[in-house]
Amino acid sequence: MSESPDRPLEQQITLLELVDRVLNKGVVLSGDITLSVADVDLVYVGLRVLLASVGTLERLHEGA
Amino acid sequence: MIHLYAIAEGLGELPAVEGIGGAEIRPRTLDDLELVVSEHDGAELEPTEEAVLAHARVVDALAAATTALLPARFTRTFEDEAALDSAVRGQLDNLRRALSHVRVRVELGLRVIGASEEGPPPEAATGRAYMEARLEAVAGAERLAKDLHEPLAALAADSTHSVATKPRLLVSAAYLVETGDVERFRVEVAELERAHPDLTFVCTGPWPPYSFATAAET
Repeated sequence: MSESPDRPLEQQITLLELVDRVLNKGVVLSGDITLSVADVDLVYVGLRVLLASVGTLERLHEGA
Repeated sequence: MIHLYAIAEGLGELPAVEGIGGAEIRPRTLDDLELVVSEHDGAELEPTEEAVLAHARVVDALAAATTALLPARFTRTFEDEAALDSAVRGQLDNLRRALSHVRVRVELGLRVIGASEEGPPPEAATGRAYMEARLEAVAGAERLAKDLHEPLAALAADSTHSVATKPRLLVSAAYLVETGDVERFRVEVAELERAHPDLTFVCTGPWPPYSFATAAET
């Protein structure tokens, strides 16, 4: 079902929160991660994901 | 290569959801913990749009099928099962503690966005008056953010509150809330929203407890 297409801000923030959680939150196990390097990459990738995927979020809602 | 989605407690039947790139997800038991992973050939998994969303879908499905869940961050994949096991074994106690912290609790996200930015005060005749006005505006925003955050944090078992990085983003916070208290939390948000008609409130969730899934991360 297309859910609240009249709330673009809410939808954008929900997507931003999703990407932020998956890439920047959540448990990390590897002690050997070079965090500084990984963080820069992920922030960059995160932005790209954000720009690319408002449509994907809508598909997710429809599929849910 | 092994990709880790989450560490679970009380996982019964695995939910019917595909992993990244359509990979099959499978459980891997380690002591009393259950890891949910998928196997991938070749190089490191890139956090593409599809991969990030697939990871999130698996975590969502697992959250509904477990008594406690620590979502894994999408980071480097593990070389093999031995590498995964040794990373988990290094943190067993921390992981157990983290699992019990999030048990029967969900995460709610809140962002509060301020009214459109006001320009510099027009009557600031001097540099000093301008600076004072600016400082007062910043202090006012901090007070307001605190007034919004505190009643919500009081309803939560835990909370994270990031310092506002953009002038209009007053609150960017996550709250760990008992599943039975989600409605009460939302009512409180609605009340704050009514009391501050000039601000925009966006309350998201319930999420799996991403923001509270921390082992000894150093």
